[in-house]
Amino acid sequence: MKRADFDTIPVTLRGQFVRHLPSYVLGTALLALYQAAQYWFDTRLRVAIDAATSGERERALSLGAWLIVVALGSLGVRVATRLILFNAGRVAEYELRGALLGRLQRLGTGFYQRVHAGDIMSRATNDLTHVRLLLGFGVLNAFSTPFALVSAFAAMMSVSPQLTWAAMAPIPVLFLVTRSFSAQMYPRQRENQEALGALSDTVQAHVAGARVVRSFNLEQQQLEDFDRINERYLDKNLSLARLRGSMGPIMQGISGVGVLIVFWYGGSLMVKGGISSGGLLLFFRSLARLTWPLMALGFLVGLLQRGRAAYQRLAEIYQAVPDIVDGDQPAPPSVEGRLEVRDLQFSYGENQVLRGVSFELPAGGSVAIVGRTGSGKSTLARLLPRLENTPPGTVFLDGVDICRLPLSTVRKAIGYAQQNPFLFSTTAARNIGLALPECDSDEAQDRIASAARRAHVLEELLGLPEGIDTVVGERGVQLSGGQKQRVALAAAFVLGPRLLVLDDPLSAVDARTETGILEAIDEQRAERGVILITHRVAAARRCDRILVVDQGRVVESGSHEELLRVPGGIYRAFAEEQRIESELSRLGELDLAEASGRLVVAQEGA
Amino acid sequence: MNQPTSRGQKALDAYHREAQAELVDDRTLATQLWPFVRPHGTWLWISLVSIVLCTGLALVRPLIMLHAIDRGLAARDPQVFFEGGLLFALVAALEQVLQFGQTYAMQVLGARSMSDLRRHVFGFVGGLPLSYFDRQPVGRLVTRVTNDVDAIQELFSSGALSALGDMIRLVGVIVLMLRLDVQLSLVAFAAMPVVGLFMLWVRRRAREAFRSIRSETARMNANMNEQVNGVALIQAFGQEEAKALEFDGINAAYRDANLRSIKYDAIQDAAIDAISAISLASIVVALGWHGASFGTVVALTAYLGQFFEPISMLAQRYTLLQSAMSGAERVFGLLAVPERDAPPRDPSEASHGSSELELELDHVFFGYKPDFDVLHDIQLQVRPGERIALVGPTGSGKTTITALLLRLYEVRQGAVRIRGRDAISLGRDELRRSFAVVPQDVQLFSGTLAQNVAAGEAPDLERVRRVLEQMQILDVFIGRQGGLEAKVQPGGSNFSSGERQLIAFARALYRDAPILILDEATASVDSETEARMQRALEALLRGRTAIIVAHRLSTIRSVDRIVVLQKGHIIEQGAHEELMAHGGLYAALYQLQLARHAGAEEAPAAPRVGVAQA
Repeated sequence: MKRADFDTIPVTLRGQFVRHLPSYVLGTALLALYQAAQYWFDTRLRVAIDAATSGERERALSLGAWLIVVALGSLGVRVATRLILFNAGRVAEYELRGALLGRLQRLGTGFYQRVHAGDIMSRATNDLTHVRLLLGFGVLNAFSTPFALVSAFAAMMSVSPQLTWAAMAPIPVLFLVTRSFSAQMYPRQRENQEALGALSDTVQAHVAGARVVRSFNLEQQQLEDFDRINERYLDKNLSLARLRGSMGPIMQGISGVGVLIVFWYGGSLMVKGGISSGGLLLFFRSLARLTWPLMALGFLVGLLQRGRAAYQRLAEIYQAVPDIVDGDQPAPPSVEGRLEVRDLQFSYGENQVLRGVSFELPAGGSVAIVGRTGSGKSTLARLLPRLENTPPGTVFLDGVDICRLPLSTVRKAIGYAQQNPFLFSTTAARNIGLALPECDSDEAQDRIASAARRAHVLEELLGLPEGIDTVVGERGVQLSGGQKQRVALAAAFVLGPRLLVLDDPLSAVDARTETGILEAIDEQRAERGVILITHRVAAARRCDRILVVDQGRVVESGSHEELLRVPGGIYRAFAEEQRIESELSRLGELDLAEASGRLVVAQEGA
Repeated sequence: MNQPTSRGQKALDAYHREAQAELVDDRTLATQLWPFVRPHGTWLWISLVSIVLCTGLALVRPLIMLHAIDRGLAARDPQVFFEGGLLFALVAALEQVLQFGQTYAMQVLGARSMSDLRRHVFGFVGGLPLSYFDRQPVGRLVTRVTNDVDAIQELFSSGALSALGDMIRLVGVIVLMLRLDVQLSLVAFAAMPVVGLFMLWVRRRAREAFRSIRSETARMNANMNEQVNGVALIQAFGQEEAKALEFDGINAAYRDANLRSIKYDAIQDAAIDAISAISLASIVVALGWHGASFGTVVALTAYLGQFFEPISMLAQRYTLLQSAMSGAERVFGLLAVPERDAPPRDPSEASHGSSELELELDHVFFGYKPDFDVLHDIQLQVRPGERIALVGPTGSGKTTITALLLRLYEVRQGAVRIRGRDAISLGRDELRRSFAVVPQDVQLFSGTLAQNVAAGEAPDLERVRRVLEQMQILDVFIGRQGGLEAKVQPGGSNFSSGERQLIAFARALYRDAPILILDEATASVDSETEARMQRALEALLRGRTAIIVAHRLSTIRSVDRIVVLQKGHIIEQGAHEELMAHGGLYAALYQLQLARHAGAEEAPAAPRVGVAQA
């Protein structure tokens, strides 16, 4: 099947229904045909039995042959019906899920702060399942049940109206009981799921806090906690089991009453000569045919309610308006990389993070943005490539407001490497070659390896079990924080934008690697504009200019030497603190064990 | 898309294959599961007996019909039909009661034994050494206790074990049909060989489809989860289209697996229906040549229905069995991990030292990785009541020493002794109860303040109050809503870092162990909090032996002896004045600390340090 265009397919329940209407109509027609065949089969079977028992062998034989033909024909029709209607549900599910991902990719941080990842996943799985059941199973049974009722009812009526009414007496009960089961089932399943979630949280907390647990001998208490929650999960399990277990027997019991009625009343009628033996057999068959569609009808009510409620939760995603969209201007033929930020203010809700930041960066220049944790520097980094909702008229690329440019232009021109990098569960090479259309050609492999080398991570990646083709990420080999950061850096190098925004690329690397990365950043500065977000003075001093951000404002600006001279300056304090730290770590590296620790302490400036 | 032959693609494929590899050995599974099932054996017996009875009743039902119909028709008496019908209904009702008993007993068996297994796995994880946790992602261990055990439980709840009943039923139906009327039965079974072959054909494919649904579901959810969590990265790299294509591949594979499964399910169900209709038609036709009572015909029809019912369930049950097997394999694979936390050791291995010493590290070597030691030949002797500060640059091995005292890791060579007894000869609990620990990163549990102070014991409010009073910090907490029973949010987010430190101190004092291990936090606090912490610390140190990983100048000055570590070696030891006079690493570190301490107030620049050439 060809890939659907997920931007144009309808994402409403009605739209999907209409889209699959041909399937529904065809399926319904086949359903009617199938039930008609069933009617034919039951009524002819009765005639055949009566013919066979009264010695009309030839007639019974020819009827029997026809019965076999119809049975085989019904097989085909029944398979086709199920294929057509259930497939419609699955295809709808496929399209809705594809469309969901398409929407999700376009939504910005505003949405992801409102709806959390776990919540989105639950909608994409549980809610979508309910919608699919509505559009496949639901539609099938909504149409199938009336036909089945009519077909079986007509077959029975052709034998004996009185017996028909008597045999159908338990049917409303069957419907009501199923409905009530279905209504109870759902909350119990949910409680079961929640108990499992609580269990999972407990184990998670226990494993994550293993060190504390051991230091304080908390094992016993942890086990008691676990027992309590485990016990609760067991209770929920059994409560669900009781309901599930009782359903079949109760249903069978109720339909058993119908059989009893047919047996007793039908038997009496037969003795009196009211119906033939073929007629009685027909009743048994027709009644059995009714049981399942009626149970399904009971489920249908709940299915409809849950499907609609589930769709509402999905609609919230479908209807969410992307806050970050293409601007009205065409993509410029080329980007030079001149950046200007004018009085940039930004808030998360009530919390104002940036209170007016302005600076200019000539094409190919470099600027370091320095500040404490929470100063707003990472937010600034995300605003530049419009990963946040950048206010119009604040950031200009080559003199054009980035909000008026196509998103792809902005993001291709302004590359961004995250501070807390995210890796996909694929090979390390593919994580680095994220921006490449393919990662397997020799040329691509070379680019990836060279970027990894420049980010000083190649050697470590080659040391993994499968080398650079080792699967990493959540479900693969675990990389350290520093390794992830360098893989992200390598990915940004491969992207090769005009302007590179690096968000604290040194926050999780050791001293030796730091030197290597600083060299890599120097190389990058020679090729493109660099905006370096950092709190490390050693990194910042390499840039043409340094801005110090504090509480959302630029409070100091200038070269490394200039800023060192600012009395009481933040940058100066940073420099001093970091010098002490580097001294400390240098002391840690010295070979003192053999030198019997003779150190000379000299005052600064000596 | 990618060429399937590339190395990267091969690695990815191998990875996905591994993720769905299923090795099955049902005998080992049974022997491994049995210890957990046995305590609930009664339920197993109830279930098995019910299965047999239930199947028996189901087989009897058509016979009741047969006799009632034939006798009723012979006697032309509706009363016979009524009595037969009543008996039939009673048998059917009893059968349903037994059916419920059977499934429910099986579910209870599964739920209870798996609850025990879950507890066992949890307890087992609790007994794994820290070094194991350093290597394994947390999520993987959580999955073992939750989802994998649940998969095994499916074995019971899906009725896979009820297959026993199905077997009896199939054989019973065949035997009884043949006994009723050989010729008619043979006519009914005429189509069976065809059915059998057809079923084999469909079932293999249905099973394959069902299995790929399971693996595609897992892949699809994992992929979407990643795309949602990594959406910023996708947007920053403009990879929306490529990633959507990647997802579409999985989404389409999932859809296609489902379409296949729909197809085979539909074929199977419809085929069973058609075959039973054809068998019925054949019997009817055969009646013309071979007379039989009407009761026999009804009974044969009923048996035919019973015959086909279990066949349609087999394919699904088999797949669930497979997933239970792979769950079991993962769970029992974990349970086979031989490493234990502080395992009991052969007493002959234990060394002996002087019981005059509270603590002793005797030529200790240790590394987190086998080929890389982080502690070299550590010798440290601590007298009762002595306060020792461990000082050294980051990564010098200070915290590792405290972990070895608690036997959180095993020394590679040498011995750790507590009051002359080797740590490996002490029980895990006995050993760790000798220590009160204040870790560098204080972890608070959700619960109440008092529960956090009492860590692990049922909190005695009076004792909590006394502890806080002794430390002169009662006023810090008593004003909170709820007082000592104030709520602590997960992670202790409603307490400041200074308050968290104080709670950790109180926790250590409440524990009242003879030896204190304190790993000081590095974060600077205001001078008022600093003074409070010093007072609290004094109360905590009183009458105790203490090992302190020290960062604060005030703490360093108040200890009896300072042990200076560098690169896993002890390079200096002595009192503050001695070490300062010596002018070695300690003196350099101290001056750097002094400079940092004064940093905020524009202190004179810190000293530079170098190694003198000999």
